[in-house]
Amino acid sequence: MTSRRGFLSAGLIGLTVKAERRITGSFVNESQALGHRLRDRSAFKEPTRKIRVPLVIVGGGMAGLSAAWRLDKAGFRDFALLEMAPQAGGNARWGENEISAYPWAAHYVPIPNRKSALVRELFEELGLLHEGKLEERHLCFSPQERLFLHGRWQEDLEPAVAATAADRQQYREFEKHIAEFRAGGEFTIPIELGAKPSPLDRISMTEWMRRSGFDSPYLNWYVNYACRDDYGALASGVSAWAGVHYFASRENEDKGPFTWPEGNGWIAKRLLEKLGRYVKTGAAVYRIRRDGHRLRVLTEEVEYTADGLIFAAPTFLAPYILEDAPPAHGFEYSPWLTANLTLDRLPRERGLEMAWDNVIYDSPALGYVVATHQSLSSRVDRTVWTYYWALAQGAPADNRRLLLEKDWGYWKEAILNDLARAHPDIRECVSRIDIMRMGHAMVRPAVGFIFSEERRRAASYSGGNVWFANSDLSGISIFEEAQYRGVRAADAALRAVR
Amino acid sequence: MSVILFLSVFLIAACGLIYELIAGTLASYLLGDSVFQFSTVIGAYLFAMGIGSFLSRFIGRGLVARFISIELLVGLVGGFSSSVLFLAFAYTQSFRVILYLVVVAVGTLVGLEIPLLMRILKGRYQFGELVAHVLTFDYLGALGASILFPLILVPKLGMVRSALLFGIVNAGVALWSTYLFRDQLGGLSTLRAACVAVLIALGVGMAGAERISAAADNNLYADEVILSRETRYQRIVLTRWKDDIRLFLSSHLQFSSRDEYRYHEALVHPGLAAIPAARSVLVLGGGDGLAVREILKYPGVEKITLVDLDPEMTKLFSTNPMLTALNGNSLAASKLHIVNADAFPWLAENRDVFDFVVVDFPDPTNYSLGKLYTTVFYRALAKHLSRQALVVVQSTSPLFARQSYWCIVETLKQAGLKTYPYHVYVPSFGEWGFVLAGLSPYEPPALLPQGLRFLSARNLPELFHFPNDMLPVDVEPNRLNDQVLVRYYEREWREIAH
Repeated sequence: MTSRRGFLSAGLIGLTVKAERRITGSFVNESQALGHRLRDRSAFKEPTRKIRVPLVIVGGGMAGLSAAWRLDKAGFRDFALLEMAPQAGGNARWGENEISAYPWAAHYVPIPNRKSALVRELFEELGLLHEGKLEERHLCFSPQERLFLHGRWQEDLEPAVAATAADRQQYREFEKHIAEFRAGGEFTIPIELGAKPSPLDRISMTEWMRRSGFDSPYLNWYVNYACRDDYGALASGVSAWAGVHYFASRENEDKGPFTWPEGNGWIAKRLLEKLGRYVKTGAAVYRIRRDGHRLRVLTEEVEYTADGLIFAAPTFLAPYILEDAPPAHGFEYSPWLTANLTLDRLPRERGLEMAWDNVIYDSPALGYVVATHQSLSSRVDRTVWTYYWALAQGAPADNRRLLLEKDWGYWKEAILNDLARAHPDIRECVSRIDIMRMGHAMVRPAVGFIFSEERRRAASYSGGNVWFANSDLSGISIFEEAQYRGVRAADAALRAVR
Repeated sequence: MSVILFLSVFLIAACGLIYELIAGTLASYLLGDSVFQFSTVIGAYLFAMGIGSFLSRFIGRGLVARFISIELLVGLVGGFSSSVLFLAFAYTQSFRVILYLVVVAVGTLVGLEIPLLMRILKGRYQFGELVAHVLTFDYLGALGASILFPLILVPKLGMVRSALLFGIVNAGVALWSTYLFRDQLGGLSTLRAACVAVLIALGVGMAGAERISAAADNNLYADEVILSRETRYQRIVLTRWKDDIRLFLSSHLQFSSRDEYRYHEALVHPGLAAIPAARSVLVLGGGDGLAVREILKYPGVEKITLVDLDPEMTKLFSTNPMLTALNGNSLAASKLHIVNADAFPWLAENRDVFDFVVVDFPDPTNYSLGKLYTTVFYRALAKHLSRQALVVVQSTSPLFARQSYWCIVETLKQAGLKTYPYHVYVPSFGEWGFVLAGLSPYEPPALLPQGLRFLSARNLPELFHFPNDMLPVDVEPNRLNDQVLVRYYEREWREIAH
């Protein structure tokens, strides 16, 4: 209720200041309820139908879809892919509205280097590479990145505004270190092709920065940003090996990365066009029982009897679903929040044009990506921004609780307040904010995890006819690792089941 | 008392002449042919003054109150006359009608002033003395106005504010008269309130004129702004100085009517004349219809498709009489098909094939426009070319922006086209560059259309020679994912400006 006086003064203010517009939206793609039922071993409905199928893939994210891609290419077609969500894609899930398609999580793939043979194979198939040559239409257009620092936008993410000679000296020194690591050949994608146990994995990235004499606040911000962006954790919570891997694993000769309006959803869509007939969505697997040599895979509608199974869902779920699964204690996950903001007009700006990736210095969040950036139009009036926020500060469990406790309005305000630092008129532009909460968005390469016994055991687990495939087995949650793990599991399954 | 009285005669005479001068000047600016415009405006104005003098006899009682009302009316109509005329030119098709209506209205009112004033003053002076004084000050006022107008008012204030300023003088005389003749007046407070209201209206107009775009543009552009329109896509500004009409799009000069024939002949004929079999022509950009005017000189061309983003632009250049005179009403040609669309997405979706393509976009001043100069764009364009087809691209200045120019050449080459760079001198632009490109080899044509003002078959081959200071330099091609052109362009033109 508005008081009479409030109403009158609002009317008067309205003459000079435009009244704040209503912003709608909600939480979307919620899956925690189902996750908690699995965790609490709540009662599920007994399936009423039975289907016999030689091979089942559990999980329709990139790992599961890549396994299916491999099986199908090998001519093996007797399998089913079960996805609990109504839409396959996992971290490559996407949405679409009247303005644009947009990503819900993963939104780019760096230009694959020579070692990433599988990515190159897939990209040739999808027309992203033509005999090794890049298809420019799908490479991120200029301008790629900008950073809001000291009240203005600058090009690129490396802080340049007010950087001193000492800062710049450290940037160069850091680049030199990274170049040496790159030349060493240990930091590969997939990591399994090059990784050797390293003392770097026993200290945090922060510690490595300190020992290497890197004390520039700008450089530390930059490295910390990279860790938050790729691992959802602060540099202090990430192993130095993983921190270095982020920089040293890419040969950045060509301007990339590959990106699309719907992010990696573009790849998921292309894969689903080929493989959709194997995929059952809304099929949550709640129990996998061993029955002699066979496996009984239970969903609430159908019980699948299979000879083999590829477990492509996050590994931490295995102990709740799979009988005699290996424990997954060392697997720690970062909680994230992503939001898609519908903008009916663009914020007023001077100076630098809007980039693809737009980052605000000193923000707890990671900034936003513009869904219409890859449009060929020379003029865009309305757009969708995908806002990324890895809840990196503090313990993951506390942040998961926070994600569940706070309502949509709380997060909406937090997002708008953050964006308002760079865009004071953001509230006049946004008409809708949909928010996705992910308690276990990506595996966290904490100190010691990559070369831990637990990770190795899970990665090589087979249990005779069950193969794990999620990217978390690599300790790094990226598209290339998901694809690699999926394909490897498919190869192992083919050998056993055929 | 008497000095003050005759001073008001001086002022109202000056006002009357100013409105006449403004109407005459505006008419010649906007319609051209200044002898005709000034003669008819002065004729109509003097005739209307005669009507006013004649009508003065029907005014019987309450002379002073009538005089004050007439002053206020002159102030209002005269004061807003140039605003009204500018708006009429920009937004209506009936500028002439409105022009003569305004001239007759102001003339009639001004014609009433002196007879009424003489009748008011007749009791105070001898008839002979009165006529002598009034006419002396009347002519003195006219002299003052005619000196003030070209020397101070037009250059310093511009038309809109000059008219408003003299409107304020008229209203000031009215207000002042309520004090001078207060013993002969009833209802003083009503009259004074009316005076104040008119003064406020004109004052607001004066303040507003600072902010409305037309007035603001007068400070930005060297010449008088005759039209200023903010469209969804750009700011269209036309200026005129004597017979030179200039078009600016978002502050960038597009043409000067004095030398645009050099630009447009050089843009169209070297390419189109070399393809005698050309039937179908595409023009991208060029909503001014000037390139189309040149293309229409080829009877063999059966169909011209013009793709310009801004419907306001093509509408303006197909309806405004001054502009249709310039483009020879080319946008009304029956061969022409106008498409208001964004060129890049249009090309990507359209399947038509053309024999000649004119690419006449604004310079690559930002990344949005830079997209229209990329390898991907030219590859998309190449798909629309018939075997013998040629494309011509306006390519900024090879002298002032040498890297930018050769970058465009290199980009066309990267897109798999053979290139034939050439340049011309256009006084208002300086040395300007074009690139012909196609799939087949090019030979300069031996025959050009009749009646060209600049090009001849003899001087045509010379355009393809570059002097030392414009020779090719080492450059990267412009790619969507690495728009070097925008950076070259920005740096090169900044160096010129400083």
